[in-house]
Amino acid sequence: MQVVDRVVRPVTTDPDGPLHQGRFQSPLRDERLAAWLGAPLGVLFATCFVTGLFSHVQQHPLAWLPVPARPAGLYRVTQGVHVASGIACLPLLLAKLWVVWPRLLSYPPVRRVGDVVERAGVLALVGGGVFMVFSGIANIAQWYPWHFSFTATHYWIAWVTIGALVAHVGAKWAITRGTFRRGRTSLDAADPVLGTAAEPPHDGLSRRGFLTTVAAASGVLTLATVGQTLPLPGLRRLAVLAPRDPAVGPQGRPVNRSAANAGVIRAATSPSWRLTVDGRVPHQLTLSLADVHALPAHQAVIPIACVEGWSYSAPWRGVRVRDLLAMAGAAGDAAVRVESLEHNSIYSVSFVDHFQAHDADTLLATHLDGQVLDLDHGYPLRLIAPDRPGVNQTKWVTRVTVL
Amino acid sequence: MGDAGHGPVSSRGRLFWVSAIAGWALIAWGVRGALHHHVDTRPAELARFFFGGVVLHDLVLVPLVLVAGVVLGRTVRGPWKAPVQAALIISGCAALFAWPEVRDYARVLHNPSSLPHNYTAGLLVVVAVVWAGTAVVALVRR
Repeated sequence: MQVVDRVVRPVTTDPDGPLHQGRFQSPLRDERLAAWLGAPLGVLFATCFVTGLFSHVQQHPLAWLPVPARPAGLYRVTQGVHVASGIACLPLLLAKLWVVWPRLLSYPPVRRVGDVVERAGVLALVGGGVFMVFSGIANIAQWYPWHFSFTATHYWIAWVTIGALVAHVGAKWAITRGTFRRGRTSLDAADPVLGTAAEPPHDGLSRRGFLTTVAAASGVLTLATVGQTLPLPGLRRLAVLAPRDPAVGPQGRPVNRSAANAGVIRAATSPSWRLTVDGRVPHQLTLSLADVHALPAHQAVIPIACVEGWSYSAPWRGVRVRDLLAMAGAAGDAAVRVESLEHNSIYSVSFVDHFQAHDADTLLATHLDGQVLDLDHGYPLRLIAPDRPGVNQTKWVTRVTVL
Repeated sequence: MGDAGHGPVSSRGRLFWVSAIAGWALIAWGVRGALHHHVDTRPAELARFFFGGVVLHDLVLVPLVLVAGVVLGRTVRGPWKAPVQAALIISGCAALFAWPEVRDYARVLHNPSSLPHNYTAGLLVVVAVVWAGTAVVALVRR
């Protein structure tokens, strides 16, 4: 500790030292600017947290909190907002951290117990914020430079980040409220109450110019990606940095996992493929593909929304799950488990709660856009149900177990 | 700028402590979960990424930006400095975001629809539009 003190103190406290805070002064390093960047960043983090929780509950069902099947496009909206908000965070987060960065050099680092609590919280917030934005962006680009599970770490670090945010909001409430009461136009004036200085004449970006630039950077990233989920004319063509295009893929529709990746091509095309309906039913069913095609078909326009933030809505045709359950004699409030031919994947099995299983539009689909499903879309049979994450719209279905 | 938390409006009253207790309870819940689900979260590697991100940001990225700022300050002066700064900030953010796509880190997982665009071209187009747009705004304002 003494060694650290001997080394760190002179370079941070001597005004001529290389790491003295004063050397990094800039008209842009103003507490009100930090508040103007921090508030929208906090709103985006909170939005990501709430929408992320919804996605977590969808993928890790809670018995006491079944997810309703309606509105059918709810997950499409929440997950689209989740990913778009996360992308928009990138410029805001970097700008916010740049504005407050010299605080890293304040010496001594802590004076009172409150300082320890606040600085440890800031460490959790910086580490959590950087981790969440980095891991999220890497995940949508399908880049995994780690061995841990993305979903598990993104989920648990989200609690750390939101906790650190709650603590930080409490610490910065007064300055933030004071800043917003005075409005954006007073950013360049001195504020004796807040203890902030006037913006001196300088060339380069002004405080307001810096805010506008950061907003523009978030806007550019949004415009260059949001067309992967928002079905407005023109946006799809602007989405040159989006990891998916809702009109590119087998049958003109993207997929997350191909039949080759899943290793199911032979089993899915085999004449011995069967659909089994078993579990808590009086009549177990075993159906060939011809049997499935002979059942009454139903068509529904249902969005498919990937956890990675892309989505599209399309007409699907197939057998209603509730019709199959009725044939097997399942109870009217039964939930089911749907199994894929795919093995060794956490997404090869999905749970369908009683709301979703008995919805009129929950299908085991054989057709997409009027054509037989492509192998990559789950041929011969895939689950498609309203208000579910794409990873739970199980492909290459071979078994439905009534729970 | 003032020291962290010692300004007249940052006194640590009840709100600070109540939110600190609530916030640290949530942090503890997250840490507990990450440790409990260690098979999935690999806490040692997760900690390397968590703290490594702080170190990379605070001790590599920010110093690089500071150096870029110094270089910019010596090469571009007067009315063009602000638009150049703005264009650099926006295109830098776009480049950071697009980097995994441009480098095609996902190639091992490729399927016919993942990363369907030419992202190098896409990034260049975005950067070109940003610089052109910034120049137009700068000219209109003069």
